[in-house]
Amino acid sequence: MENNYQLSRIHNYIHGLMSREEMFQLEKEALEDPFLQDAIDGYRLQNGVDAKQLSLLQQRLNRRVENTIATRHAQYYTWQRLAIGAAAGVLFVVLLALLYFKHFNGKTERTTDVTLSEPENMVTIEPMLDGGDATPLDGWKAFEHYLNNQVKDAGKGGDIIVNFTIGKDGLPAQIQAEGTPGQALVDETVRLLQSGAKWQGSKGRLKITFPLKEMKDPAQSNVIKPPHCFGIEKS
Amino acid sequence: MNEKELLRHYKTTGDLSALGKLYSPYMSLLYGVCFKYLQDPDRSQDAVMQIFEELIQKLRHYEVDNFKSWLHVYSKNYCLMQLRRDKRTTQVDIEDNLFESEQKLNSSEEAKWEERDFERLEGCMQTLNQEQKECVRLFYLEQKCYKDIADLTGYDLNKVKSAIQNGKRNLKICMERKENGK
Repeated sequence: MENNYQLSRIHNYIHGLMSREEMFQLEKEALEDPFLQDAIDGYRLQNGVDAKQLSLLQQRLNRRVENTIATRHAQYYTWQRLAIGAAAGVLFVVLLALLYFKHFNGKTERTTDVTLSEPENMVTIEPMLDGGDATPLDGWKAFEHYLNNQVKDAGKGGDIIVNFTIGKDGLPAQIQAEGTPGQALVDETVRLLQSGAKWQGSKGRLKITFPLKEMKDPAQSNVIKPPHCFGIEKS
Repeated sequence: MNEKELLRHYKTTGDLSALGKLYSPYMSLLYGVCFKYLQDPDRSQDAVMQIFEELIQKLRHYEVDNFKSWLHVYSKNYCLMQLRRDKRTTQVDIEDNLFESEQKLNSSEEAKWEERDFERLEGCMQTLNQEQKECVRLFYLEQKCYKDIADLTGYDLNKVKSAIQNGKRNLKICMERKENGK
């Protein structure tokens, strides 16, 4: 190799084994090649080239390169193993879950009733734009939410249209119901409006719909059945 | 793969065996360079390996055009840093190192010499000091090796070497100045 050739030239040069022409040639090359010149200077300081030392160095390099490749392989296999392990773990858990459900479902029959919040079960409001400009300070959504949380006893339920004005304190005043709704419905509406959020504007006109209740006759049924049921219904 | 391809291959893939192939031909020269500065066999060997470790990072990020001269400058700086780190004082010939930091970038353009170039060269020769003039003449015109020149002039071998290096550099500077100043 060129490398060894250069090295043996340096060796010969330092030990005076070169002809004058060869020495001149190398010196001229080194003048153009500071790398070579530095190396020559170094070996001259060391009093020669130690081939054994250099082959040890070569071995160190080889080992270094091989080690890294080996480590990379080892890591690669580790990752592979990890992946297999993870997959096995997931499979195991799935299997356990399947067994568990099978076992559990076989023994007891389960009933799941899911009640959805249907519009019929909720208090809804409908601002009548022809009657006023009042809006709840927190917005209609929040107000509706408040009604649903706070409603207690609205009699039979049903629709009610109320007119009111907004007092100086921001609360509805002079609440009047239109038509002839039940007294309980009116009372509950007034209570809810007066203890609720503040309003802005001057006049309000609202239609509030309360869920209908058929509990006038306790003998009929005390249980309110949700309109939709999922799962197995037990009688 | 040649050197350029190995460099590119390593830069893109980080394949250490490519870097090994690139580095290994220079190891014995590098060892010499390191020994020049560190002056200790074990430290020099370690330095050669340590430089390799640094190249693993560096060559993935830097675009290196001329690997050989880059490697030389890098290794030299590495060794000088080592020396600075352990604050050991070594005698480093300033003249020597001045010369070595110059690259042979321009040497390839061997333009045709005309009559007036020779005249200019002769003029520049006169600007050199006695030692440099003498050694440069013996080396370049009579093609004598350092040892012969040392014998002929009675100068020390190292003195001959640096006289030629510095004389060559001064000639080059002088020639360039004349060319531009004309």
